Amino acid sequence: MLKVDDLHKSFGTLKVLSGITTQVDQGEVVAILGPSGSGKSTFLRCLNLLEQPTSGNIYFKDVRINDPQCNILKTRANIVMVFQHFNLFPHLTVLQNITYAPMKVKGLSKEQARSIGIDLLEKVDLAEKADVYPSRLSGGQKQRVAIARALAMQPEMVLFDEPTSALDPEMVKEVLEVMQSLAQSGMTMAIVTHEMGFARKVANRILFLNDGVLAEDTTPQEFFTNPQCDRAKIFLDKMLK
Amino acid sequence: MITWELSRRRRQFFWMAALTCLGVLFFNGFFGQSVDRAIAQSSKTLTMGTSADYKPFEFHDTSSGQDKIVGYDIDVAERIAKDLGFELKINDMDFNGLIPALQSKRVDFVMSGVTLTAERKKSIDFSDIYYIVQNTILAKKDSGLTTEASLNGKIVGTQLGSVQQKVAKKIPGAKLETRNKISELIQELNAGRIDAVIVEDVSAKSYVNINPNLQFSVLQGNEEGYAIAFPKGSNLVQPFNRAIATMKQDGTLKQLDQKWFSAQAKPTQSGFQRILPSIPYILGGIPVTLAFTFVSLFFGVILAVILAMCKISAIAPLRWLANAYTSVFRGVPLIVTLTLIYYATPQLTGYKIEPFQAGVLTFALNSGAYVSETLRAGIVAVDKGQQEAAMSLGVPYRLMMSDIILPQAFKNILPALANEFINLLKDSALVSTIGAADLLRRATVVGAETYLYFQPLIIVAIAYYLMIILLTFGTSILEKRLQKSA
Repeated sequence: MLKVDDLHKSFGTLKVLSGITTQVDQGEVVAILGPSGSGKSTFLRCLNLLEQPTSGNIYFKDVRINDPQCNILKTRANIVMVFQHFNLFPHLTVLQNITYAPMKVKGLSKEQARSIGIDLLEKVDLAEKADVYPSRLSGGQKQRVAIARALAMQPEMVLFDEPTSALDPEMVKEVLEVMQSLAQSGMTMAIVTHEMGFARKVANRILFLNDGVLAEDTTPQEFFTNPQCDRAKIFLDKMLK
Repeated sequence: MITWELSRRRRQFFWMAALTCLGVLFFNGFFGQSVDRAIAQSSKTLTMGTSADYKPFEFHDTSSGQDKIVGYDIDVAERIAKDLGFELKINDMDFNGLIPALQSKRVDFVMSGVTLTAERKKSIDFSDIYYIVQNTILAKKDSGLTTEASLNGKIVGTQLGSVQQKVAKKIPGAKLETRNKISELIQELNAGRIDAVIVEDVSAKSYVNINPNLQFSVLQGNEEGYAIAFPKGSNLVQPFNRAIATMKQDGTLKQLDQKWFSAQAKPTQSGFQRILPSIPYILGGIPVTLAFTFVSLFFGVILAVILAMCKISAIAPLRWLANAYTSVFRGVPLIVTLTLIYYATPQLTGYKIEPFQAGVLTFALNSGAYVSETLRAGIVAVDKGQQEAAMSLGVPYRLMMSDIILPQAFKNILPALANEFINLLKDSALVSTIGAADLLRRATVVGAETYLYFQPLIIVAIAYYLMIILLTFGTSILEKRLQKSA
């Protein structure tokens, strides 16, 4: 479904990604791991063009989405992202956060958007919070709302950028559970995460990035029991201690 | 603007032109409403131009709470119009607009205490003199300043651009001081910063009436006369002269003299009691002031949004343009911008911009510059994640700005915006300089009518203060409500 071909990204003279080639199939859950500064987040942000690749191509369903002719807004509405810091709109209620983009971007009626929104809020177990403002929610609740907001666009793929890194430990679980059930529903997902247990349990594939290069592209089983490159071994040593 | 020979009680035309260009503060006059001449002629109406700020010749009577132009000149004009079988229509305008109005025949004649001079006779026609005035020395009773000679070495005040300024210049050894208004000169006299004031006898009588500690003495050999002015070649001059002669003969002018100049009783009431009837008129300026403020802020904020968008734009020329704009409008004093817009617009475009429009335009342009800078900072202060979240949902830039970023930015800058609002409300007093009937302007009008300086100002000071207290209260409630939502 998603194909990445020789992706390069530099910020000025700083080279962050140097030639990444991979692909994600429909329904696949890909965990992107790597030490900090390895380019994981930049890679993820290139996938919905929050960052423009310096060179290389990204194809979604065989359409080259980093083509200037291609409608970037449509791409983003279809490949949505969940952020580390939730980025909920503070001046809108929980339900308004969720219904805003479906109404304004996809042109759904208020009723349609509402029914989708309430449905999703029930799925993330926050139906009773529909009319409160985000400032009244805990971190875990905020992230669940953010996931619901992303899903309300009825996207074909969801990108997660360290979705649990900003959460208190006791709230990590509730978010991971939501993500897991989303994975089980067959959603195509790419997740940058430091939750090794979650990656091992939920992901179909592991991409290990090191210094802007795709060092390993393998199954969780293979990666966690028998990592190939030295850098991955050191990384796992540190993470699993 | 025509440079006019300087020989009336008031500002000279070249002074007006200079002030206009320099943007120096001056007060005075409503801009003349245009008169439909066709209608005026068909209904046998005579239109009189006057600058109703010269009590008791022509002034606004606000003592009934209503605004009515009355005075000696008005009575004379009414009588002449009646004698000749016309309806009289009064067109109040700034003094410096009178002669142009005559020349463009927007008015049939002008009565506004205009002094007859040989120079003026070259470009307009005059009736016979209907009122003779003398210049006087106004000073404290115990000062002993009663003759020209006694003024040697003294500080002598006159109204800026008045005939008296010319007279005072000829007094040997006198040190000259000028102020914009006679009322200001009286304050200076009472405060002891000026020793004597040269004014014509009518004003002198009125001020001595109000200030029993003052006295006036006629300055010998300085007679001048007021006459009615007409467009060159007007066929009204002869009938008017006949009417004036009749009024002189049958004692009408004497009666009017009694009515307007001698009948002023000594004030038995306090200053505040005397302006009490005019308070409704003064407070009628509140809606005017508020309208100025609200309309200006409304357009100012719209402009600020556009400018702020330009400032954060990726397109460099837009940024340059917006920054240059801000720099200019923040760098020029409001009063200068206002005066330029009000006086330059008709000359450059031919459009006779109204005081209200000129005021709103000035304040909107100015506050647009200020608010845009604040708003830019407010936008930058919105978390970058907000933009990314909107982008990652496929929200177009324009919607992202209007629905996501700007509402948060405005919330960020609400205290600054409230401040701007309060400043604007106070700054709006500047529009009184171009004759818009706001609070301050009305205080000036009442001041000219009652010869009281402080009391009307204290009334408007209280009115401004109360409005601002209410506004501050309102914005703090709004702030609290907004804080609840985030």
